[in-house]
Amino acid sequence: MSGVTLKNVKKHFGAVEVIKGVDIDIQAGEFCVFVGPSGCGKSTLLRMIAGLEDISGGSVSIGERRVNDLDPKDRGTAMVFQTYALYPHMTVERNMGFGLRMNGMPKDEVAERVAKAARILQLEDYLKRKPKALSGGQRQRVAIGRAIVRDPQVFLFDEPLSNLDAELRVATRLEISKLHKQLGGATMIYVTHDQVEAMTLADRIVVLRDGRVEQVGPPMDLYERPANTFVAGFIGSPKMNFIALAPTDTGARLPDGTTLTPATPVAARAVTLGVRADALHFDAAGPITGQVTVVERLGDAVYAYVLTGWDQEIVARFDPNTKIAVGDTLRLGITGRTHLFDAAGIALPLKQT
Amino acid sequence: MADATHMPAVRRDPFLSPRRRRAITTVILAAICAVWVYPLVWMISASFTPNTEIFGNGGLIPRNPTVENYTRAWREANIGKYFFNTLFVTVGSVILTTIAAALMGYVLGRRSVPGKAVLMALMVFTLFIPQGFTIIPVFEFLAAIGLSQSLWGLMLATCGHSIVIFTLLFAGYFSQIPKELEEASRMDGIGPVQTFWYVMLPLAKPIVVTVVVMQTLQAWNDFLLPLVITLANPALRTLSVGVYSFRGEHFIDWGGMTAASAITIVPVVMLFLFLQRYFIDGLAGAVKG
Repeated sequence: MSGVTLKNVKKHFGAVEVIKGVDIDIQAGEFCVFVGPSGCGKSTLLRMIAGLEDISGGSVSIGERRVNDLDPKDRGTAMVFQTYALYPHMTVERNMGFGLRMNGMPKDEVAERVAKAARILQLEDYLKRKPKALSGGQRQRVAIGRAIVRDPQVFLFDEPLSNLDAELRVATRLEISKLHKQLGGATMIYVTHDQVEAMTLADRIVVLRDGRVEQVGPPMDLYERPANTFVAGFIGSPKMNFIALAPTDTGARLPDGTTLTPATPVAARAVTLGVRADALHFDAAGPITGQVTVVERLGDAVYAYVLTGWDQEIVARFDPNTKIAVGDTLRLGITGRTHLFDAAGIALPLKQT
Repeated sequence: MADATHMPAVRRDPFLSPRRRRAITTVILAAICAVWVYPLVWMISASFTPNTEIFGNGGLIPRNPTVENYTRAWREANIGKYFFNTLFVTVGSVILTTIAAALMGYVLGRRSVPGKAVLMALMVFTLFIPQGFTIIPVFEFLAAIGLSQSLWGLMLATCGHSIVIFTLLFAGYFSQIPKELEEASRMDGIGPVQTFWYVMLPLAKPIVVTVVVMQTLQAWNDFLLPLVITLANPALRTLSVGVYSFRGEHFIDWGGMTAASAITIVPVVMLFLFLQRYFIDGLAGAVKG
């Protein structure tokens, strides 16, 4: 087991800089998730760790070794691709053992490793099949098996669940989570654009945007203490509500002129108030008034989209049996945790009461 | 014709019932087929008929069937020797062409090569030059490297006929294979040559079969190139040139010629029967791409 250290890592394709100096320190045995919108450079970063992309600047170390100039096979990493990348003309067994055989490992040892991986992944009944005869989930398990047999120091996952349907995605997500424990806490780096996958799998999440790290931390830290509006908006579903604030001598005003109650301490520099859906509640004296435009009933919660007096749609979460209908006028109070951001979108220290 | 069964009952013409339509179609197709096959059948028939009776208007079934044409062609007219010449040229050129075209197609289809567009354009351009214009330079070239009087020279020259098309076929096919496969094999520590041999080439099986079949046909049936190269050296003749030699100045040995022709086409027909499924797959795949 080894950690992975990225120091000021940069990547440019021609004149375009896609990774603009990234420092990340991944501990041995950690499950680290790179998350961000498409085009943020998360896959490129992973491929640089794998050795599939050159590193334009900075250094990548696995364990104590600097691996910038090592071939992919010498880095001690194994990768699971979004499209599985199984060899279509080989059986499951041969797919998993092919790399080892080609590198001269004795047949018995290869067979033993393949059998072990197949047991872990419950693929024993499918060893003689070709990928064509497998379902998407099984194919992805074979791809994971191909990584396991190499016994790598670091597992790299490049959006492994994106090609699966919703139900399988949840099931496979659980399996990957269990696998991490089963493999004695192997170091895993996992790339996804899905913040739910990031929240559920990660020991630590790295949020990336435009080739830069926005924030690194455990899932709940990112959820509760986002460093800026980008992270606040990206982590958590539904998306956090952002409300413009106008500072006044006594506190702050909402766009429609309502003064926020003193219960919400406002730093003088704050221009944006962030409120998650679960921090809004019915409150006859609350500061926010609006009309319901859409009601989403999810069974375990009801989300109401409320059009406020200043023409902004904000979302609030209610208990499952709450009676709300489209067109109702609601008055909402802010009771939970709130977030304040300055003009640059950086979070201001909370002085929560 | 089959859609007739899906038509509503009202529109059904009692005379042209689906069954009759099928019968009529079959008759028409059979007639066309007979015209198509007649020359071949005549050739087979003539090859079993003594020379004196061939044009004796005896119909397609020989009155006094004989295999004497075959023995004469095989022994006296050297068709046996020509058969093995042709086999050598064909097998050699198929192996060389397939390997070379696959390797070139792999690079052109998957790697970024400087000047790739120019290279491809030049290759396509050569397709438009008729063989007649290049045959003398090819012969000169073979003479310069001392191969103009050997089967090896003929075999090498035969490789050149369609290698451009084969290369483009391979390039088109390889360019569709997802790059993750190569990346996966790189992660597995498999070198480029092994990746080509164990991963890429097996995936290109339909194209390999297509190229093998097309090059076999081409090499086996080629006439102009072997004619020019073997002009001064009858021992190197291939079958197609050998068959032509039954045409004497005053007399044409039709029996011998048709027997030799029959010997010539049998291997090709057999090859096609064995490989036709893959062959058609490969062509269909290439068109799809």
